[in-house]
Amino acid sequence: MSDVLYRLSNVTQCYGGKTVLDVSDFSISKGAIVGLAGHNGSGKSTMMRILAFLESPASGEIFYDGKRVDVANTDLRREVSLLTQEPYLLKRTVGRNVAYGLELRGADNIESTVRDSLNMVGLDPDLFMSRQWYELSGGEAQRVAFAARLAINPRVLLLDEPTASLDRESTLLIREAAAKVRDKCGTTLVIVSHDQSWLEEVSDVICRFSMGTIKQ
Amino acid sequence: MDFIANGFLHAFVLLFGGDPETYSAIFTTLAVSTVSISISLIIGAPLGFLLGYHNFRGKKFLRTFVDSMLSFPTVVIGLLVYAFLSRRGPLGEMGLLFTIPGIAIGQALLGLPIVIAMMATAVEALDQRLKNTLLTLGAAHSQILRTTLWEARYSLALAAAAAYGRIVSEIGISMMVGGNIKWHTRTITTAIALETGKGEFSMGIALGMVLMIIAFAVNFSMSGIKKRAGQ
Repeated sequence: MSDVLYRLSNVTQCYGGKTVLDVSDFSISKGAIVGLAGHNGSGKSTMMRILAFLESPASGEIFYDGKRVDVANTDLRREVSLLTQEPYLLKRTVGRNVAYGLELRGADNIESTVRDSLNMVGLDPDLFMSRQWYELSGGEAQRVAFAARLAINPRVLLLDEPTASLDRESTLLIREAAAKVRDKCGTTLVIVSHDQSWLEEVSDVICRFSMGTIKQ
Repeated sequence: MDFIANGFLHAFVLLFGGDPETYSAIFTTLAVSTVSISISLIIGAPLGFLLGYHNFRGKKFLRTFVDSMLSFPTVVIGLLVYAFLSRRGPLGEMGLLFTIPGIAIGQALLGLPIVIAMMATAVEALDQRLKNTLLTLGAAHSQILRTTLWEARYSLALAAAAAYGRIVSEIGISMMVGGNIKWHTRTITTAIALETGKGEFSMGIALGMVLMIIAFAVNFSMSGIKKRAGQ
């Protein structure tokens, strides 16, 4: 069995007639932590949305776990979760935000999973579970959104600038959490960050983007 | 000036003495407005959601039509509903003219455009990141719709409060469709108009105070909801 999880072949994406992504061949191995680096507008976030099956490429083929993906169904999307740079929190408590993905899946032991996830991102469940979404700082909201992704234990975790609004201590926690889910659950991670040294520390391999293309 | 002071004094006597005629108008108002706001919400909320959520041909025209209906005069609505419910009208056999359900139909038509327009605006204004967040957390299509409606709940409450404020204070529909029948279809607003016309200020003032309390309660709740909806 191949250990390649994603394979992109001749994938392009265009917005308003302008090509923003042009990837001839790109693969991601199962259980790898892949860092994506590059300037703003170099195509990293577009790549993340395509990997998350949130948008389809203008041309090219995507293979996931050896199968070509044309239209992503709910089962496939449940294997992949994306944390965006400015995550959206639902208008409910922290506990219910983190529990949302588990409730969709009809999971058991939701509360203990939510508590574990909050602990992993450095938020005390006793303090934060009942807090409302509007009572959080930017950094706390970022960590709650990350906890919501950790709780559903996806096969692939895509993190777009996960430490952008975090302090050094929280950045360290995110790094530990990323390494932990990979080691414990075999999660594949793709991380976009402008923090070059952090990205080098956390990733197995770094791909550099420039004007929509990958310069390995 | 004495008649005003006496009017206020007598109004308190009517209210705190439990005057049956005064309370009949209050209960009729609360009953009919509860039915009409419920109809407006049950029909208007899903329509407003569909109008705001989906893009389709003719959407712009429909939005303009709904927005125009916001300023539909209550007497014109009363006239139309009267025409439909009167014995010669297409719904005359249902016997709804001069009844509480008849007024409720007219008031629901008054509240409907408010609920549809405010709900559509609220759904259109929802954060664009919401759908992607739900997708990436694994929500199926029906789960996305349910969660999106729940995310817009404060805006829906705001629409309900705005529609209720307009319904409870209207007079044209209640007068024309209800007929202002004592103990039966007489509401706060029609009673105020009638009693003032007769020179009976005290009941008018008493009922006016109740209407003001309802209006304050609606506005007070709206300001709280507005704050929450904006967060």
